[in-house]
Amino acid sequence: MEEGKAYSPDGVFAHLEMLEARAYEAAVKQEETEQQEEKLARLKARVQELRLQRDELRAKVDLQQKGQLGKEGVVSDPAQPSARPVLEWKIKSVKAMLEVFYLTGISGKLTKRGVCFCISTAYQGTYLDSYYLDLLAKPQMQIHRHSVPIFIPLEQIAKKYLQTDIRRFLSVLSDHLNAYVGRRYQADQLQEHFSDQIEGTLQRNSLCNLLVFNYNVSSESKTFPFNARLLYGDLCRSLPTEVIVSCARVGQLCWCPVVVLQVWIRSVKTCCFVTIL
Amino acid sequence: MDETVAEYIRRTVLKIPRDEIKTMLQKWGFLSETQLQTINFHQIKENISQDVVQLCEENSADIKQAAVLDIIYNHIYPNKRVWSVYQMNKTGEETEFFDLTDFKKKFKRRLRSALKNVTINFREYEDNAVWIRIAWGTPYTKPNQYKTSYVVYHSQTPYVFISASVLKSNLPLLCQALVVASSYHDIREMELRSHSLNSLKDIVFKRYSQNFQTYYPRPLQERNVAPENADLRIIQENRSEKERIQRVNREVFGDGPQPKLEFAQYKLETMFKSDPKMDVLDKKEPFRCLVKFSSPHLLESLKSLAPAGMADAPLSPLLTCIPQKARNYFKIREKKGFFSGSFVSP
Repeated sequence: MEEGKAYSPDGVFAHLEMLEARAYEAAVKQEETEQQEEKLARLKARVQELRLQRDELRAKVDLQQKGQLGKEGVVSDPAQPSARPVLEWKIKSVKAMLEVFYLTGISGKLTKRGVCFCISTAYQGTYLDSYYLDLLAKPQMQIHRHSVPIFIPLEQIAKKYLQTDIRRFLSVLSDHLNAYVGRRYQADQLQEHFSDQIEGTLQRNSLCNLLVFNYNVSSESKTFPFNARLLYGDLCRSLPTEVIVSCARVGQLCWCPVVVLQVWIRSVKTCCFVTIL
Repeated sequence: MDETVAEYIRRTVLKIPRDEIKTMLQKWGFLSETQLQTINFHQIKENISQDVVQLCEENSADIKQAAVLDIIYNHIYPNKRVWSVYQMNKTGEETEFFDLTDFKKKFKRRLRSALKNVTINFREYEDNAVWIRIAWGTPYTKPNQYKTSYVVYHSQTPYVFISASVLKSNLPLLCQALVVASSYHDIREMELRSHSLNSLKDIVFKRYSQNFQTYYPRPLQERNVAPENADLRIIQENRSEKERIQRVNREVFGDGPQPKLEFAQYKLETMFKSDPKMDVLDKKEPFRCLVKFSSPHLLESLKSLAPAGMADAPLSPLLTCIPQKARNYFKIREKKGFFSGSFVSP
């Protein structure tokens, strides 16, 4: 079609114009595509960049994780045997220290408002009860709570020594408690081990500072009923201060009290003033 | 044997649960083993009691032995009575020897000098407790064995546990006799009452579990912790708060069982605090109000309030101070020291 028109005289310039226009359009399109391609390339490049970055970070993370494991797996093997036993040994020695404090008889722990003491009692190697004292430091030294039995004169001792000399207070209280526990233990042991020799029941009181009992001593097919009365005058001691042994039947008795005393000395280990009636 | 004694023994036996009758009679020791074997303890109680009375007739029981049976019954079932705690004071510092025979003699003498018609019986128990049973009469009538007071006293302690029953008018007499016999100066009633005698003893003798801070590693009692949910899908959102509540609760109440009290009573004499604009009361006077908490086991229920989510931890010190202050009747007045009434020294 255009060949026909190519020969028309006024058509050449039109043809040229047309071609020019076409070329222009083509050029514009080309530019556009080029631009698009450029953009695409740019974006592709960006994607590549980001991918690269991501790979790098991943590698870093992996490395770190591996690195940690690596440390544990590699470094701790020689370290492990020394860290854990050391800790265990430390714990054991601290516990032993605390137990030593407990075994000494008076141990304490600081609390928020004061201190809490534990007095543990013993008699001849046997550990018996523990008693606690919760003291407040302000406004002045006072007893907040305690588990001391009511018949121990705690208030009196506190009135005398708590404000002025706390060491003396604890020492006196500990003496009282140890002595009470010792007396009670002795009375219990007497009841247990000599129950066949004692007639009836052992009469005692809360502080165990008065013991009265009857027992029989037989010799030469005669039995003599005896009554023993032990008074513990000093509340801080676990030995009696006065012993009264009496017999219902009188006569031919001069050697009997000796036997009686021997029985006593064996069980109570007392050496004190004795009245024989 | 006296008719009244027979009737009294019969009624006492009827009170005892059937399964326990034989053991109690054995403890009593008044009837021999052979005599006890003749009784059929499987029949109805009416018949058992008749048999027992008959055997007692054979042994010619008198009121003293009958009273001992009554003491044994009350010793095994002390929770049927209401006990109040009394505290004695003395000023001297002399060492107490507390001779039991001396105590009994002085008590009887003092009481009988004021009132001749009384039956007094004593019984000692292993824990240094003396049980005293007193049946009251009047200057003109014989003692009424059904109106008895019981006194439990532990030697060398300033506390006496009294179950007075009906006749309150004889109380001053009883208190005086106790003070004289135990060589104290005076006696006053503490604001502490309960059915459970042993719990009262635990509170005043400080035998209940208190939580003291020590370093000595006491073996922690493994409480039966409910096995934490096997289902791992359940997550405890409030775990730290729950643990805090448990910790605070343990600090306040300790680990062991609580003494058993049935009620706590708070008498308020405080001013009513309202919005001044509302002006509820015309005159500014104390708002009288009585708050009473009652429960079969008050302290255990208070202990379980916070873990159950019904109250905030820590609980109000008004509730938690009950064992330490050894009282369950309080008067709350205005202002600063909100406890009134005499303090019991710890």
